[in-house]
Amino acid sequence: MNFGIFRGQTFRLKGWAPKAGWLAWRNYDFQLTTYAVLLTVFGLVMAYSNSVTTAHTALSLNSPFVRGLMWAVVAAVVLGLTTVFDYKWLRSFAWPMYLVNLALLVLTLGIGSGTGDAGTAARWVVIGGFQFQFSELAKIIMIVVFAAFLARRQPSIKSPWTIIGGLVILVPPWVLVMMQPDLGTSLVMVAVLAGILFMSGASLFWMGTLVAAVVAAVPFVWASMREYQQARLLSLVNPGADPKGAGYQLSQAMTAINIGGVGGKGLTNGTVVLPVKTTDFVWGVLAEELGFIGAIVVLILFGLLLWRLLVCAWRSTDTFAMLIGCGLATMVFFQVFVNVGMVVRLVPVTGIPLPFISYGGASLVSLAAGMGMVQSANLRRERPEW
Amino acid sequence: MSVTAQGRREQSQNVYRFGFFVLAVAIGVSTLSARMFSLQVLASQKSYQADAAPPTGTVTVPSTRGLIYDASGAPLVKNVITYSVAVTPSDLPLNRELEVASKLGPILSLDPIYIETLIDGSTGSLYKPVTIADNIQVEVARFIEENYDALPGVKVVATKSRQYLTKDLFAELLGYEGQITRSQLGSQIGDHGQGPLSAKQYAELLTKGYSGQDVVGQAGVEVQYEQQLRGVYGTQKVALDEAGKPIPGLTGTVEGSHPGASLTLNIDTHEQQIAQQALAWFLSNSKVQQGVIIVENPQNGKILAMVSLPSYDDQLFADGISETDFQKLLANKNQPLLNKALAQYAPGSTFKLVTGTAGLAGTPALAGTPALPGTPALPGIPAQPPAITAIDTLVSKPYVEIGAYKFWEWNKTGWGPLNITQGFAYSSDTFFYQLSQLVGIDGIAYWARQYGFGAKTGVDLPGEAQGIVLDPAWKLKNKSEPIFPGEVLQAGIGQGYMASTPLQLLNAYSALANGGNLWQPQVVKSITSADGIVTAIQPSLIRHLAVSQQTLLDMRVASRAVVTTRHTQNLVDLPIQVAGKTGTAEFGVPDKRGLLPYHEWFVGYVPADPYSDDFTKTDSQLAVVAFVYGANTYGNVATEIVKYYLWLHYKLRGDPFNTHNPGNINTWTTRITNNYGGN
Repeated sequence: MNFGIFRGQTFRLKGWAPKAGWLAWRNYDFQLTTYAVLLTVFGLVMAYSNSVTTAHTALSLNSPFVRGLMWAVVAAVVLGLTTVFDYKWLRSFAWPMYLVNLALLVLTLGIGSGTGDAGTAARWVVIGGFQFQFSELAKIIMIVVFAAFLARRQPSIKSPWTIIGGLVILVPPWVLVMMQPDLGTSLVMVAVLAGILFMSGASLFWMGTLVAAVVAAVPFVWASMREYQQARLLSLVNPGADPKGAGYQLSQAMTAINIGGVGGKGLTNGTVVLPVKTTDFVWGVLAEELGFIGAIVVLILFGLLLWRLLVCAWRSTDTFAMLIGCGLATMVFFQVFVNVGMVVRLVPVTGIPLPFISYGGASLVSLAAGMGMVQSANLRRERPEW
Repeated sequence: MSVTAQGRREQSQNVYRFGFFVLAVAIGVSTLSARMFSLQVLASQKSYQADAAPPTGTVTVPSTRGLIYDASGAPLVKNVITYSVAVTPSDLPLNRELEVASKLGPILSLDPIYIETLIDGSTGSLYKPVTIADNIQVEVARFIEENYDALPGVKVVATKSRQYLTKDLFAELLGYEGQITRSQLGSQIGDHGQGPLSAKQYAELLTKGYSGQDVVGQAGVEVQYEQQLRGVYGTQKVALDEAGKPIPGLTGTVEGSHPGASLTLNIDTHEQQIAQQALAWFLSNSKVQQGVIIVENPQNGKILAMVSLPSYDDQLFADGISETDFQKLLANKNQPLLNKALAQYAPGSTFKLVTGTAGLAGTPALAGTPALPGTPALPGIPAQPPAITAIDTLVSKPYVEIGAYKFWEWNKTGWGPLNITQGFAYSSDTFFYQLSQLVGIDGIAYWARQYGFGAKTGVDLPGEAQGIVLDPAWKLKNKSEPIFPGEVLQAGIGQGYMASTPLQLLNAYSALANGGNLWQPQVVKSITSADGIVTAIQPSLIRHLAVSQQTLLDMRVASRAVVTTRHTQNLVDLPIQVAGKTGTAEFGVPDKRGLLPYHEWFVGYVPADPYSDDFTKTDSQLAVVAFVYGANTYGNVATEIVKYYLWLHYKLRGDPFNTHNPGNINTWTTRITNNYGGN
């Protein structure tokens, strides 16, 4: 970008402004933001459609659409703020953030109310009439914490202790999330750790050894568990045991996708009954109403978004920034694959929202924060032209 | 990582791992795209088409129930929506019960073990929902509803319910509403207007298209105007899931529904309040438990206030009363659920109006009627001329003897010769014993019926008692024996078998006050349909008494004399002019001193211009009856209740309890004795 009269000038806003001043905005990745905005628009369109087809009046204050719009505005503000904010500060703040994160998850367990789509007991904290799911924020915070940890461990990255350290960091929030219980988010956390470890250059041998050990340990742990514990775990992993529950959702979702056809039935014309259609099964509604064409456009948008995230990570001159980008990419990719895969029966049912598209304020705001961090890293690259 | 002087990276990114990541994303997105392609483009779409639209069913949607307003238009009841959570055991797989309970627990702030106990402890059908929590918050209800698939068997029941804004003040009048199936519970008591629906009422409702789950009025105006308040229930198409249950949120529009009409009462909240205040003060100070005060406009039968104490909080019922609370109300010997204004008691000396009228007016010829269906008619009665005129006297003595029985004057001495005005004013028993003998039981019964005794007044409230008018047919039917001469004497002073509701008595004196028109008492003033069309309820005349205006005037003068002779103590000192009659009636079993408990009555009226002493006019706008049950006091508390009410109604100056105020309230009347002296 050429800002005309600002060319060659440097603005230093006391420490945290990009060194190159306004010139730094040349490194802003407009593609990345554009894809994110387009996906969010798809999400709002689906929220509108769902608001119309359910009993809600689309424009009433409580409809998913209006709530979604409000959250989108909040997300835009968060995106702007995190972009301007120097991401490097996050590195020194990583450990305080980690503690705050734990505190918020404990708070959720303590005063949280309501259920999520998987029927959990304490996922939501209601703030001024808005529900907020701190486990969504936890995912982003964990990305920052892992990135900070692994960036620091670069000199001895190949050591098995790198992996063990990552696991030690993961366990407390993971346990807290499992206690809600929120299997989906806990899986995302594991995936994010795995992705960041992989991209940080951790030893493939030790990672492989760990996975092998876990797989080998499963039968022993299982055998040592009491019967009701097993039953509880089974019901978490496989809620489809209840035919009227997830199994019904799945068959309805397949029907919805199928009758959507190539061109879709048009917005708000969906007729297939889909529970939790504003969140976990939004893909079913999207496929029915927008058809294959709409679905492919969204998948391509996700592909492009992931590509830009990886490009940003690749270009970064700082391991911390690189790992943030990779962590965010891992998270988005994992969620997209598991959510869509679940609806099209490629993976088992787990309550994981579709990034940008599933209705949910915390998810959108957290994603905006992640995007903002990546853009912040873009602006503050050591070498603007690569 | 650091940067070289040339800006070159010291250590480049790991190309292989980035490459792997990009490849993974490409493969992942392609896989999903391919899957979508095969599902949406390649697969035959017809196979699914049939299932596309979910099966639908029709459910009944309750209409909005009409509201009830007081005479000034202030609402007495509100419609609110309450949510409760219920679990249907048959829809909850046994192996998920623990899980569902542990999910529900934190949501509802209940102990999961408690929830499990509730579900497991429910007796009866597995298909019958077990209510877990009542009155839950809207947000909680929405959470549970949105996640119904994760909570099998759990459902949120939204109920439109009533919020009664005046608690016990209007409880007997408004009644309450509740689920129709309460009927079994109320089968023994419902017919008396005391409890929920009777089995008969229940059966009637079912024939009118009600379902067993409907919420209906169960008492008071709520049941009397059930049809109008209810409106027309609509129907709604809903989508059904595989189990045939409606899916929340997938509903069509409601069709055919029409909201219920609203009611406006003749009763003003303020009027009701002061009536209650007057009654409650005396009940609490004289340790009397039960009492009634009713105010009526004699010109049209409009009920201006009706208080029956003790009362109950109708909100208890609207919220779903617990079995223990309900049994407690039923077991209370003071019968809070009973509207005592409509229950029958011995009218005592107030009934002397009937005997007096019979004496002055004579009796037309009457055809005999069979006592029981199928039995031969009793002999008819020839016409009787008036037994006395207004100036004839009968000698009041210490007692009247019939055979071996002595029927005592209430003061045990008598007053000597009395005319009707004096006899009525002193409430001389021996005067009316003799008059009863002259008139005969048939004359008394005829005039009692003329004044509306022995038949329901037709007031628009359920559970009205019809009272008892003693006559040969009644005695034969109920006691299988003829009337004994002594019973005629008792009948003439409103004791023995005679029974009247406070409302009947008030209505009879209203007819006296207004020149002989017996109006049907009316609680509801008008009905406003949902479209805003107001239908005023016209006064309905039961009958015009077959009596001359002179006779009524004589009785009005006599009733005024009750006050002016200070039979009613200092009621005469009130600045407003009152006429009326006291009454005392023994009932029940004697105490250890051989004295019976007794009811106290006062029924009276005030001319349209309350400061004019002209009782030839028939323009009274206000008639009041006060009744206390089982009084044990020095004086007639009922008179003082009416006095206190009039004081409040006419906003008389000064403190009614200050003895320097003329016509003040005689607080000594509330002192307790068993040795009563007034009649």
